[in-house]
Amino acid sequence: MKKKVGIPRALLYYKYEAMWTTFFEELGAEVIISPETNKTIKDLAVRFAPDEDCYSTKLFFGHFLYLKDEVDFFFIPRFGSNHEDNVGCPKFLGLAQVLNSLYPDFPEIIMPYYSKAKANHGKRRLLRLILEIGFKFTWNPLRILRAGKRAFKAQVEYEEQLYISEKHLKEWIKSQIVLNEKPNLENRNKPLKVALVGHRYVLNDDLSSLDIQENLAQKGVDIITSFQMPRCTIENQMNKLDYNLYFTDAREILGTITYFLENNTIDGILQLAVFSCGLDSITLELAARYSRRQPETPLLQLVIDELTSEVGFGTRIEAFLDMIDRRELK
Amino acid sequence: MTFTFPHFGSLTYVFEILLRELGRNDLLLPKKPSKKTSELGSRYSPEFVCTPFKLTLGTFIEMLDMGADELGIGGGNMYCRFGLYWPVQRLILEDLGYDFKYSPIPIYDKPLNIVKSLQAISNDLTVWEAIQALRTTWIKTRHIELVDKFHFKYRTLELEKGLADRLADETHRKIVEIEKLGELRKYSKKLPKLFANNIETDKEKEKDAIRIGVCGEIYVALEPALNLDVHRKLNELGVITKNCVSLGMLIDFGRKINPFKTLPYKKARKVAKPYIGQRCGGEAQENIGDIILYKRKKWEGLVHLYPFTCMPEIITRSIAPQVSKEYEMPFLSLVVDEHTAEAGFQTRLEAFVDLLRRKKQKIASS
Repeated sequence: MKKKVGIPRALLYYKYEAMWTTFFEELGAEVIISPETNKTIKDLAVRFAPDEDCYSTKLFFGHFLYLKDEVDFFFIPRFGSNHEDNVGCPKFLGLAQVLNSLYPDFPEIIMPYYSKAKANHGKRRLLRLILEIGFKFTWNPLRILRAGKRAFKAQVEYEEQLYISEKHLKEWIKSQIVLNEKPNLENRNKPLKVALVGHRYVLNDDLSSLDIQENLAQKGVDIITSFQMPRCTIENQMNKLDYNLYFTDAREILGTITYFLENNTIDGILQLAVFSCGLDSITLELAARYSRRQPETPLLQLVIDELTSEVGFGTRIEAFLDMIDRRELK
Repeated sequence: MTFTFPHFGSLTYVFEILLRELGRNDLLLPKKPSKKTSELGSRYSPEFVCTPFKLTLGTFIEMLDMGADELGIGGGNMYCRFGLYWPVQRLILEDLGYDFKYSPIPIYDKPLNIVKSLQAISNDLTVWEAIQALRTTWIKTRHIELVDKFHFKYRTLELEKGLADRLADETHRKIVEIEKLGELRKYSKKLPKLFANNIETDKEKEKDAIRIGVCGEIYVALEPALNLDVHRKLNELGVITKNCVSLGMLIDFGRKINPFKTLPYKKARKVAKPYIGQRCGGEAQENIGDIILYKRKKWEGLVHLYPFTCMPEIITRSIAPQVSKEYEMPFLSLVVDEHTAEAGFQTRLEAFVDLLRRKKQKIASS
C-alpha cells in the first residue's frame, strides 16, 4: 500500500507546491493535499489555532487538522531561506515543532530544517535531507536521488512559468498581453490596470483573499500580481534602498509597489495585508510613506482577518475603482 | 551632532559606556519613558507593529525635541523585524519634520562587521581602538548585570525600603565611571560585601522567599517602562527575581570564544533542541531552554514576557505550556503592549506567586 503524505494547502505550499508534490510522487508516495480553504477549515482554524497568530498561520492550523485522519505523514518543512542574508518569516521555522508539541499523537511530521541564511546550509545539507526523507518511503537510493532531481527541475520550470520577463512586463503595461483572467469589459471600454500586491498564500487563497482576483476581473480590471513580477525588477528596486529589507516576501511586495509608484505606468496599486503579520506591519507603513512621496499612482491598502466582511471589502474596492475612473475623466 | 539611543533598562548604562569608550562626548542620555512617551510613539506607529517599536519611536521623538540629532539603534539582518525599525522610523520622523541622522549598528552579525560599524560612529578611532572599546563594554556589561542580580535580591529582603534601589544606582554609576579595568575587577570583588554590609536583610523572609526567573523578549524583559516594572512588583511580593536574558549573548565575545566557559544561553539552546531545533529569532529557543535549566536549578517558576504581535515569541508561547507540563515547571506567559493595565497585570502576578507559595508549602509539609 502506498504511504500517504499530507501537505496542508497554506503558507509555503503556494511557493513550493511543484517541488514537494513531484518529490513525493516520484518516491512512490500518495500525496494528499488539503482542499482549498473552505468554511470547515476556517472554523477549525479559528477554534484551535493560537489566538495571536496571523490569519494565514491560523488557516494553516485548519488545513493541518483537516488532514489528520487521512494521512500517514505530514510534510511541514522548517524552511528559513535560500539566500545568504534574506530570511523568511520566523513562524515558518517554528510551525512544525509547535504543531508537534501541541498534538503529539498525530501522524509523524516530516520537518527538514534548511536555511541558507544564519545556519549556512548548502548543497550537502540538501542532499542529506533528501536522502533522510527518501528512506522513509523507499530503500533505493538511486530512486531517491532521481526524485530529488526531478523535484528541483519541476520547481525551476514552475518558477520560469510563473515569473514573467521584463519584456512581458512592458508588453503588459502597454496592454498587449493579459497575464491573468481576461477582464470583463461590459461596463468599460478599456480595462483598468491594477497591480495586486500581497503574500502569495493570501492572493492565491480564494477564501482569505475573498476571491479578489476573480472579483477584479469581473469589474473590468486587468491585474498583475506581485509574485508574477520579474525577479530582476524586484532586485533592482531593492538595490535602490539604502537598507537591506531582509524578508523575502517583503522584498517582493515592496519591490512591486515602489516599481509602479516610480514609473507611474498603471492606474492603481492594491495591497492586501494580513492582520498581525509581522512583515506586513512594516511593508504597509513603508509603502504608505513612499506613496505619499510619489503620489501619482493611487495605492489602496486593505487588511484582512477572519472577521472581514465581504460587503465592506467589496465596497472599498469599488470606491477605489470609482476614484481611479474619476481621475481619468479629469 | 548630539547622539542619543533608546532607553533600555539598566542596559542604558551599557550603551553609555560603549559610546563614551568610542569617544563620543556629545551624548544626550535618554530619559526614562513615561506614559506620554508610549502615547506619542503609538500615535505615529503602524497599527500592529510590536510594542518596542512604539516605545523607541516615542523616546526618539522626545529626544529630538530636546535637541538630539543622531539616533543610534540596532540593525542588520535577523529573523525579527527589529532590524527594520530604523528605516520605518526614519520615514515617520522625516514626515514629522525632524532633521536627524540614523546610525544603525548591526547585531547578530560577524564580529568584524560590528566593530566596523562601531568605528563608523566613533570619534575617529582606529579598528583596534574600536575593538578595545567593545571589549571594555562587554566586560563592564558583566558587572552591570551582576549588580542587577544583587539589586533584585536585596530589594526583596531589605528592611528599609529604597536602600537597594539607591545602592544599585550608585554602583551602576560607579561602574560606568571607573576607567581602568584592573580597578573594575577589584571593585566588583567588593560588590557582594557592599550589598551585604549596607543593606540589612530580613532573615525570616529569606527563608521563605521564592525565586522566579524573568525571561522573554529582551527589550520587554529589561525595560521597566514596558514591563510595568515587573521585577519591582515581584520583589514587593517577596520574590527574588533574576533576568534570564542578557545582552552578553550578543556582545560578550570574550566569553563566547572562551572554551572553558559556557554561557547560559548556549546551555539553554542545547537543552531546548528537542522542542525547538533551530534559532528562529528573538529569544524563542533560549526561553524554552530556560524552563528546563531553571527547573534543574530548583527555581520555583518563570515569568515570560513578550510584546504583542512579536513573531518569535508566539512560537515560545505555543510550545512552552507543553514543556512546562513535562518538567513540572510553573510558567506564566504575559503579553505586554501600551494598553496593558497595571491592575490586571498585578493580579495575575499575585495569583501566580500565591500558587507557587502554596506549592512550596505543600512540598515542605509533606
